Amino acid sequence: MPSTDSHSPIIGDGPAYDAVIVGASLAGCASAIQLGRAGLKVAIVEKQPDPKAYKRMCSHFIQASGVPAIERLGLLEPMEAAGAVRPHMHMWTKWGWIEAPRERSKPGIDLRREVLDPMVRAAAAETAGVEMLLGWSAERLLRDSGTVAGVAVRNREGEERELSARLTIGADGRDSRVAELSEVPVKTFPHNRIAYGGYFEGPPPKHSPDGLIWFLDPHWAAAFPTDSDLTFYAAMPTKDRLPEFKEDPEAALVRFLADAPEGPPIRESRLVEPVLGKIDMTNRMRKPVAPGLALIGDAALATDPLFGVGCGWAFQSAEWLADSVLPALQGTESLEQGLEAYRRRHGRELAGHAFFIHDYATGRRMSPVERLMFSAAARDPKAAAIFEAFGTRRIRPQQMLPRLLPRAVAVNARHALAR
Amino acid sequence: MSTAPAAAVERGSLLAGGTRTRLAQAGPAKASEAVVFVHGNPGSADDWVGLVGVAAGAGKRAVAFDLPDFGETIAADGFEHDVPGYAGFVDAALRELGVERAHLVLHDFGGPIGLYWAATHPDAVASVTLIDTGLLPGYRWHSLARIWRTPVLGELFQATATRPAFRFLLNRKEPRGLPREFVEAMYDHYDRRTRKAVLALYRATDDPGGMSEELVGEFAQREIPALVIWGEHDAYLPWEYAARQREAFPAAEVHVLPTSGHWPFADAPETVERLLAEFLAA
Repeated sequence: MPSTDSHSPIIGDGPAYDAVIVGASLAGCASAIQLGRAGLKVAIVEKQPDPKAYKRMCSHFIQASGVPAIERLGLLEPMEAAGAVRPHMHMWTKWGWIEAPRERSKPGIDLRREVLDPMVRAAAAETAGVEMLLGWSAERLLRDSGTVAGVAVRNREGEERELSARLTIGADGRDSRVAELSEVPVKTFPHNRIAYGGYFEGPPPKHSPDGLIWFLDPHWAAAFPTDSDLTFYAAMPTKDRLPEFKEDPEAALVRFLADAPEGPPIRESRLVEPVLGKIDMTNRMRKPVAPGLALIGDAALATDPLFGVGCGWAFQSAEWLADSVLPALQGTESLEQGLEAYRRRHGRELAGHAFFIHDYATGRRMSPVERLMFSAAARDPKAAAIFEAFGTRRIRPQQMLPRLLPRAVAVNARHALAR
Repeated sequence: MSTAPAAAVERGSLLAGGTRTRLAQAGPAKASEAVVFVHGNPGSADDWVGLVGVAAGAGKRAVAFDLPDFGETIAADGFEHDVPGYAGFVDAALRELGVERAHLVLHDFGGPIGLYWAATHPDAVASVTLIDTGLLPGYRWHSLARIWRTPVLGELFQATATRPAFRFLLNRKEPRGLPREFVEAMYDHYDRRTRKAVLALYRATDDPGGMSEELVGEFAQREIPALVIWGEHDAYLPWEYAARQREAFPAAEVHVLPTSGHWPFADAPETVERLLAEFLAA
């Protein structure tokens, strides 16, 4: 008989839902939409009671790699109608700007989370077969002979419900309660930068609506124009610059961006919301599956926000999970097979990226190989195109390195000879 | 915020304390209040030409000159190559120029020299701009300085400082490299006189942070407006000293430039020009 962690029985003859999802942010809602559209019965629970709640500490930047998943959900057009911009990237390095030829690059999509989150949540709530429970938090996992069989949730009034399901999905972010309860293996990697950012209105940065990134080695800064003629300015210096940001976050952010080479017009702009900062961004990489359980989005891989991959990977990992487990949930193969397929897909797509991201998250300066590649990308359009495809996470490191490294050597050799 | 365009810079000469030095100046020539630029080592009045124009564009009289035995200037006989000696020269130059109040702009060894002058003429200080310099409590000389301070080794170093070696030494620790013409001009001025002056000046300065403690309190109570600009990758004077200048100048505006080295006015001229112009105009 299925039981909870505290050995209380679950109600009913079989699972009440095909899937129960904890967390109604981007990954959870994307997952609910996909599973619901496939005809499954889905419960999605969210601890925030407000349907318009949104993640505040986020650059809102979605890399080009995440756009197809958004399009498949049918959200691309509504996002654009809500004012989303479609940025290409320009990256400042001390060797010059890295700017891939427009015809060989793909745009991401930028829409403030204040707009995006309620939109995605509404789309999930309107999906047939999806029951959304707002204001409920995960308390315990239900288990059946060691297999996760659902989740017990509690609302703010103390009422508790047990939601039994064939598949439990943790989409509850970096500090995932589901992951914690399931005790899946987790690896942590240090992060030695701080992140401060805020929305400003004022003159647009050059190339707007394209995004600008400064690789200040080892620091980082960015300007991401978005909807409503706002620009999100962000700084990610190493932790030794923390005192000035703690003393006056807005002044430090403005100074940091304005003093960057070819800095954006932040001093001529006006802050429209308080600057937010984050100091602890330890990278967490969890095994994304356990019997009866899958983790998606940041719950599976919470990685350095410097590279703007979190939102895109939330949509993408939800898609990979749905594609992997639908045959099982529709009864044509075992759930174990489906979860294993998801685990392998998640690892294949993201493990290489995560390795490089975690390595750079230590706050170190660029390695000689990185300097070789960045400098080549600043000097050569073809190298820039490969670099851009990697930076927007459309190709994996194992696809990028064999193409970019030889070219980088040749480009820099030519450059040295020409001097 | 846009800044005013730079003004034209005039070149000339000036006799001060028996030394005829090169002079770069711009702005209202008779004004008794001026922006006074003091260069470091190696350096000369040429370091400041761009910023002299910028300061004048901000409506100020601006002057820069070679320190004795730097640039193209030959020190008068008997000149003492130490901080008080150089500060005395600055004082003589300002008196000759009719400058009664100074907005000091100091770089590198120009810091100890200018701040020594400021300490002895506190009422004449209108503001202080510190570029990779300042009060350096607890500072231990950088490796090149330790070589210069060592008898025989210092002379050997100077004797073997060829142009390629000089270029290599300067650039190897600069995060973005310095403009070629800037380094070449610096070497052009790095002649025998300058090499001897460098050895004498560094050997006469046993403790570069020595006067810091006493000056911190003195400056702090005067609430002198200050701008601090520091290259984060300065290999000689660590950027952590930037924020510490607030101990002496509590209202200082501090800018640590993330991609600059020891010469921010050479590797990030637009940023330094903007910061100085805004500071002087405020």
